[in-house]
Amino acid sequence: MRRRLKVVAPDTRRQEKILQIRSLRKVFRTGAFDLTVLEGIDFSVQKGELICILGRSGCGKSTLLKILAGFIPPTAGRVLLGEEPVARPGPERCVVFQEDALFPWLTVEENIAFGMRQHRWPRKEISDEIDRFLSLVGLSEFRHYLPREISGGMKQRVALARVLILQPRVLLMDEPFAALDAQTREEMQQLMLSLWAKLSHTILFVTHDVTEAVTLADRILLMGKDPGRIREDIKVELPRPRKRDTEAFLFFCRRLFEGLRS
Amino acid sequence: MAKQTVEKNGIGSIQPWILPAAVLAGWFLVCELGAVPGYLLPHPVEVGRAGYQYIFGSPGAAPYAGRFAADLAASLMRVAVGFALAVALGIPLGVLSGRLAVVNRLVSTSINALRAVPGICWLPLAMVWFGIGMKTTVFLVALAAFFPVYLNAAAGARAVDPLYYQAGAMMGVTRLRGVFAILLPASMPNIITGLRLGLGISWAYLVLGELTGVPNGLGAAIMDARMLGRIDIIVVGIILIALIGRICDRFLHQFMRLCFKSARRLA
Repeated sequence: MRRRLKVVAPDTRRQEKILQIRSLRKVFRTGAFDLTVLEGIDFSVQKGELICILGRSGCGKSTLLKILAGFIPPTAGRVLLGEEPVARPGPERCVVFQEDALFPWLTVEENIAFGMRQHRWPRKEISDEIDRFLSLVGLSEFRHYLPREISGGMKQRVALARVLILQPRVLLMDEPFAALDAQTREEMQQLMLSLWAKLSHTILFVTHDVTEAVTLADRILLMGKDPGRIREDIKVELPRPRKRDTEAFLFFCRRLFEGLRS
Repeated sequence: MAKQTVEKNGIGSIQPWILPAAVLAGWFLVCELGAVPGYLLPHPVEVGRAGYQYIFGSPGAAPYAGRFAADLAASLMRVAVGFALAVALGIPLGVLSGRLAVVNRLVSTSINALRAVPGICWLPLAMVWFGIGMKTTVFLVALAAFFPVYLNAAAGARAVDPLYYQAGAMMGVTRLRGVFAILLPASMPNIITGLRLGLGISWAYLVLGELTGVPNGLGAAIMDARMLGRIDIIVVGIILIALIGRICDRFLHQFMRLCFKSARRLA
């Protein structure tokens, strides 16, 4: 009886903690002195949530994302994906990088197929999934192009498609649109939101751009500097799609700007 | 890429031949004017005739007549075996030492020291070890071709953006699969440069190996011709080696492009 209750209890809340970060700390040893980059990071992510980690450059937000991805180990603390501790990179926690990280010797299509090919999926299934994701990111006509032949915005679409196709439990995005021009950036944000509405995956999105964070996030984690820690955890309860010229939107932006400055 | 094809159809296709044509014209002129005696530099027509004899003449009709096919076969064989050995050793070792600092520290000092030794120094030792003939030549070719193949493979592997490995790792690529899925394709341009340099040097050391008194081969024909005072055959040999070297280089490049996507798209 007790056992069943234990299982039912979290289910009634409908929300499932997919990622838990417990008192995380990261120290970089740089020769003579130690540099504490992250200190006392504690938060958890619900399934299907879109969280923005907002902070100025050098606050350790990218380092935090790299730890979550498993690229670097934390000095102390734990990262749990479901119940499993995170130790190394893996396809259940995919990353979209800020830089162009597509493989230049593969076409758009082959880049998107890369992850699936590594896992030896059936050929038919791969080609169906590729068609689906090419059209989801609007690149069907460019499937045979090489990365060097397409624009920066299109590259990030491919980068998005090649990880979404693997159905990661958490998608980690490290300022993926920072290098794009303003119009393309807005397009990509809308594309990302529409994909999120369709696939309802969980997203952790690192950015330094206040407007971007308010446009995208369910929840914003505002990070402070020296050492990097989470200063505020803000729920953004604005209706979607969000309009940038509304009073409520601007109110959030002002509040976050002040938060960043202090 | 598109720009290059346009160039090739127009004046671009003639440009590579301007210099050889000019040299030929100069050679012709010098001989016609009698500025250089024939025993130092034979007339181009004479060389052409000797070349024709050497390649198409029936064996035994004249000295050197029809020997070309056999010489070419012998030389190609030596280059192929020596170069294959260099590649089989140079690429794995180069990629390893470009990727793993331990391997690099272990081998790079020794290899760079050996690299400083002129290839010709190995000739006496090779003759003591392997005698005269196939083995000595193959050894010299393999030794000489190894260094460019190794060095370029190492440089290519070292220069691969770590971001690619991170991208691969987060998509579930294991270390071993990563070598073939990421490391080798990403270093392909450097690997090809190494192979082409290595093959070029192979031909140089082939001639060195064949100068030691083997009965056949293009280098042997040249050395033989010097003793017999047949300057025309020497010149024919030089021109043929230049042509064959160029053809082999083209063939190697096309072969790599045919076999590897990364070679087609990056280099």
